[in-house]
Amino acid sequence: MTRDEIFAKVIEIVKPFVKNEDALEAVNDDTNILEDLKVNSARLVDIILNFEDEFDIEVEDADADAVNTVGDAVALIQEKLS
Amino acid sequence: MTRLPLRTRAAHAFQREVGRLAALFWVLPIAFIMYVFMRYRIKDVAQVRTRYRALVKGRDQPLLICPNHLTMMDSAVVAWALGGSWWYLFNYSRMPWNLPEYNNFATQWPTRVGAWLTKCIPVVRGGRRQDVSRVIKRVQHLLSRGETALIFPEAGRSRSGRVEADAVAHAVGRILTSVPGCQPLCVYMRGNQQDTWSTVPARGDSFYIEFELMELQSEHSGMRRSRDFSQQIVDRLVGMEEEYFARR
Repeated sequence: MTRDEIFAKVIEIVKPFVKNEDALEAVNDDTNILEDLKVNSARLVDIILNFEDEFDIEVEDADADAVNTVGDAVALIQEKLS
Repeated sequence: MTRLPLRTRAAHAFQREVGRLAALFWVLPIAFIMYVFMRYRIKDVAQVRTRYRALVKGRDQPLLICPNHLTMMDSAVVAWALGGSWWYLFNYSRMPWNLPEYNNFATQWPTRVGAWLTKCIPVVRGGRRQDVSRVIKRVQHLLSRGETALIFPEAGRSRSGRVEADAVAHAVGRILTSVPGCQPLCVYMRGNQQDTWSTVPARGDSFYIEFELMELQSEHSGMRRSRDFSQQIVDRLVGMEEEYFARR
């Protein structure tokens, strides 16, 4: 799976939890999931669990601590898939 | 479980000792305010305290108190109801550590000092995961040292006035999965006059309190295991609430 494909799937998974639709239109690697997309912090866990299902990976709590931006999420998934 | 830096461990040891030495001057006054000024009463208080003290007596495993959440005074009332003020002076490790929202008291230094003295570790709810994680690691460290902590398994005070099974705080499960032997004590507490959420319970309220030590099992691992544990606790609180309303 290419990085772009992972990026697209990440956005697809995050989308239902986003409260700031405008920020989603200009989303890039540096977009902060909580601060820019205004995703509820409690929902970040749901998002990461959805990553597990979608990409068939397992994420530990400590791994998830590093996920702040969309780019962080993509990097984590890439690392788990490799 | 990650080991905390020496400086952080020393800071917590210092906070605990100062709080313990000053306990006479904060534990009893808080209990006095709740009992005399607010006129709060706990139903079957003697029985509740006997049961709780018997449960923790000689217990080596860490204990995480997980109550339902309706008011900003819940942690104080639960602690007072379970142990009783005098008992904590001689069993200080059983006085639970709390995780209050930083922004609720950080603006004024007297409240910051007060929170520090009363075994509080501030947390910014909804903050960056790394910052929340740092607080969780502190709680893990304290629990592993034989301390008791209190965390609300719902992600905030229930806006519906009932335990919200969908509002699960992941941190509770994360702590339980990472501290060996740690068990949750589910506590359901509700004042007679408490119809919905509020800042403080009504003056003169009488509290029903029930608690149960849970044995958690999960077929999952990783974050899913933590989430599963948190969900099981909230589901049990929902069950305890149903039992409360059925008896009323």
